[in-house]
Amino acid sequence: MRKEIGSVTEQERDEIKKIFERRNGLNELAKILTYENTELYEKLVSDMGETSSLFQNWWDTMSTKYQWESHPDAHWEIDFNDCVIYLVTPE
Amino acid sequence: MLEKTVRTFTFIVTKDCQLACKYCYLVGKNDKERMSFNTAKAAIDYVLSDSYISSSHGIDFSFIGGEPFLEIELIDRICDYIKSELFWRNHHWFDNYVFSFSTNGINYNSKEVQNFIKKNYTHLSIGITIDGTKLKHDINRVWKDNPNKGSYDDVVKNIPLWLSQYPDEATKVTISSADLPYITESVLHLYSLGIHTVNINVVFEDVWKDGDDNLFENELIKLADAIIEGSYYMDYECSLFSDGIGKPLDPVNDNGNWCGSGHMLSVDAAGNFYPCTRFAAYSLREKKPVIIGNVRAGIDKNKLRPFLTLDRLTQSPQKCINCEVASGCAWCQGENYDAADTNTIYQRSTAICKMHKARVRANNYYWNKLFRKLELEGKREEFELNRPKNQNPIC
Amino acid sequence: MLKYLVILLDDSAVSYCHYESGKERKLISLEALKSAILFAMKENLNVHIVWPDYELPKDYKEIINGIDHINFADASFAHDADILVANPLDWDNIPEKSVVVVKTGIRDFIEKPEVFLPLLKRVARLNILFEDISVFKDEMVTGFSYALDFLTDAIIEQYKKQNKVQVNILTDRLILDQMNNCNAGDESVTLAPDGQFYVCPAFYFGGEKSVGNPNEGVHIKNSQLFRLDHAPICRNCDAYQCNRCVWLNKQQTLEVNTPGHEQCVICHLERNASKRMLDKIREIGEFLPGKEIPDIDYLDPFEKIEK
Repeated sequence: MRKEIGSVTEQERDEIKKIFERRNGLNELAKILTYENTELYEKLVSDMGETSSLFQNWWDTMSTKYQWESHPDAHWEIDFNDCVIYLVTPE
Repeated sequence: MLEKTVRTFTFIVTKDCQLACKYCYLVGKNDKERMSFNTAKAAIDYVLSDSYISSSHGIDFSFIGGEPFLEIELIDRICDYIKSELFWRNHHWFDNYVFSFSTNGINYNSKEVQNFIKKNYTHLSIGITIDGTKLKHDINRVWKDNPNKGSYDDVVKNIPLWLSQYPDEATKVTISSADLPYITESVLHLYSLGIHTVNINVVFEDVWKDGDDNLFENELIKLADAIIEGSYYMDYECSLFSDGIGKPLDPVNDNGNWCGSGHMLSVDAAGNFYPCTRFAAYSLREKKPVIIGNVRAGIDKNKLRPFLTLDRLTQSPQKCINCEVASGCAWCQGENYDAADTNTIYQRSTAICKMHKARVRANNYYWNKLFRKLELEGKREEFELNRPKNQNPIC
Repeated sequence: MLKYLVILLDDSAVSYCHYESGKERKLISLEALKSAILFAMKENLNVHIVWPDYELPKDYKEIINGIDHINFADASFAHDADILVANPLDWDNIPEKSVVVVKTGIRDFIEKPEVFLPLLKRVARLNILFEDISVFKDEMVTGFSYALDFLTDAIIEQYKKQNKVQVNILTDRLILDQMNNCNAGDESVTLAPDGQFYVCPAFYFGGEKSVGNPNEGVHIKNSQLFRLDHAPICRNCDAYQCNRCVWLNKQQTLEVNTPGHEQCVICHLERNASKRMLDKIREIGEFLPGKEIPDIDYLDPFEKIEK
C-alpha cells in the first residue's frame, strides 16, 4: 500500500535525486569492476560507503524535519516528478 | 545564457540494419562501416576531457545505426568504458547519464541484449519502433534481404518483454504518404499492446502529394473520435494531439530553434564528429557531410557556432514568420540543409506546411470535442490534474 | 541593395583583402568588361577597378574611363591609384596623403607594430588587413592589445601635430554609430575575369559558384544570409568597424552569416582599443562630444547571445 505522507522542496528533491543516481551508478559500476583493478576498486568501495551514508542522512534529516509517519514494516519513497513522499507498506 | 553544451552524444556504431524501411532517411546504409572500440574510446576520451563540450548538467549517450543492437558486444564495451572513465575522472556526468537506444526491436530478446539490460538497467532508455498494425508496419518496415516480407511479427513478439522492463517507454511512429489511411487503427493497436505513449511525426522530406493533407486531417479526426469515445485520453498519449500547437509564435519570446542539432554530437566509425547524425554522409541525399572535427584533432568549435546561434526567425521564410498556426510545426536541421538551395542550415524546408495545418485543424477538433465532453461529465478538473504529460518527440 | 561593383581586370590583379590572387595572368575579355560597365551604369553602381601589375591595352582603359570609378592597384606599380596596396616596409613608393591597404600577419603585427610608424606620418588613411585571422589564439590577446595601444599612442602623436591620420582598426570605431561592414553579397558583387559575377574576389578564387553575369543580372541564392539582420551573432554587436567578412565566415564556420571566434575576438580587441584611444585623446582636450564606447565584459558576442 502506498500512502502520501508529505513532500519536500524541489531543492531537497534534487539533493536526493543526485545521491540516488550516484548510488545506481556505483552499483552498476560494481558489476564490472574486479579486485585486479585495485585503485579503481578501492575508490569504488570508498565511494559506495560515502554515498550510502549520504543517502541515509538525507532520509533521517528530512523525516525529522517534516515529522513523517513511519512504521516498522514500511519504507518511504519519493516521487521525483512532484516531490511527494509516500509510506509504502508491503501488501 | 546560450546553451552551448552537448546534451546528447551519439555513437553511429554501424550503418547496417536487418531492415530496409521504405521511408528511412539513411540513404547510405551499408555493412562495412562498423565502429571499432578504439574509435569509440578515443571519442569518449576527447569528449570527457573537453570542458567546453562536457559542461552540460547531464548527458545522453545514444547509440544508433542502422540497427544499434547488431553491435551489442561493442556497445557493452563502450558503456563499461564510459562508466569507468566517468567515475575515475570524477566527472560530474557520473551522477547524471543515460544510455539510450532507438531499435527496431528484432534482437531485443537476445541473450546478449538482455544481459546488457540487466547490467545497466537503471541507466537505459530503449525505444522500440513499431509502426502500428501488421498491415501498416509491414508497408514500410521490410526485411533488407526480402523486401516482400514485413518485420511486424519479428518485433511484436518482443513488445511484452520490453514493456515488462520499461513500462513507461514510448514508441515512435513515422508517417509517410502511404501510411495515412492506417493511422487510427495503428495508434489504437499500439495502445492495445500496452504502449501508453505513441510519438508520431510525419516525414520531413518533400514527399507529400496533393490531397495528402485532407487525408491526414480526416484520419486524425477519426483518431480523435476513437480516443475520446474510447476514453483513452486519461491513460494514453498520442503526440499528434497537443493543446499547445497551432498558435502564432511570438517573434521575441518564441524564437528558439526547434531542432537540437549542435547539442547532439555524433561520431561515426571513421572517428568523424557531426552536429547530429543527420549530417553524416549516409543521411544526406544531396549535400556533402558536415564534419566538425574528428577524434584525433577534436571538435572545431567554430563549426558549431551556426548551430548554437540558429533561431527560428533567421531560418524561416516570411510565410512561417507570419503563420497564425506556427506553434508545433517542426523542422529537422539536417533535412533543411539537405533540401536547401545553398550549403546552409539557415533555409527552413516547408515541405510539411500543409500537413502541419491539417494536423492543427484536427487537433483543434480533438480538444474542442474532448473538453466539451469533460465539461458535460464534470471531469475537466480531474483530467487536468491527471492528464498524461505530453511529450512531443524531438528528432 | 546592390551599390558597388568590383571588377577584377585579371586573375593576377592585386589582392586587397582576405584572398590570394591567381599566380597566372588571365585578362578579362573586352566584351565582358564592356558588359560590366554597362551593367553598372544601368544599375547605378559605384565601380571599383582592381588592376594587375602590368599595362593594359589602350582600349581597356578607354572603356574603364567611360564611367566614374575608384582604382585599386599595387603601390609598386601605380602610384596614382585611389587605393594602394603596399607590402610592409615597402613604403618608399607611397605618395603623401594616399589611402593605403597593408596586409600583414597577426604575429608580425604583435611583434613589430612599429613598422607602421613611418606610414602614419605620410598617409591619409591606413587600412591594416590581417591575412591570417585563423591563426589567432586567445593567448595572443595581451600582445595584440599591446600592439594596438602602441599604434594608438603613435596616432595620437600625429593628432597633436594636426595630422588627422585614419587607421581602420583604431579610428573607424570612434566615428561609427552603426555597423560598417564589407557587405559583399548584399551591397557589392565582383565581376571576375571569366565574365561572371561572384560574391567577392575570394569567392571567385575559392572556387565558389558564380552568382550571375552582366547579361542575366545578379542572382544570389539565400541572399538574405548576407544581410546583417540575418546574422545572429553580428546584428546586435557594436564592433562597428568589423569587416564581417563573409568569406572568412564561410571558411571558419561553413556559414556566411556566422563569424568565427577569432574574427570576433580580434575585432573586439580593436573596439576596446578604440575606447582607450577615445579616453586618451580626451585627456588632451575635447573630442567627439557625446560619443561613448561602453565597457563590455566579453570579447566574443557569441558568449552573450541568449537563446
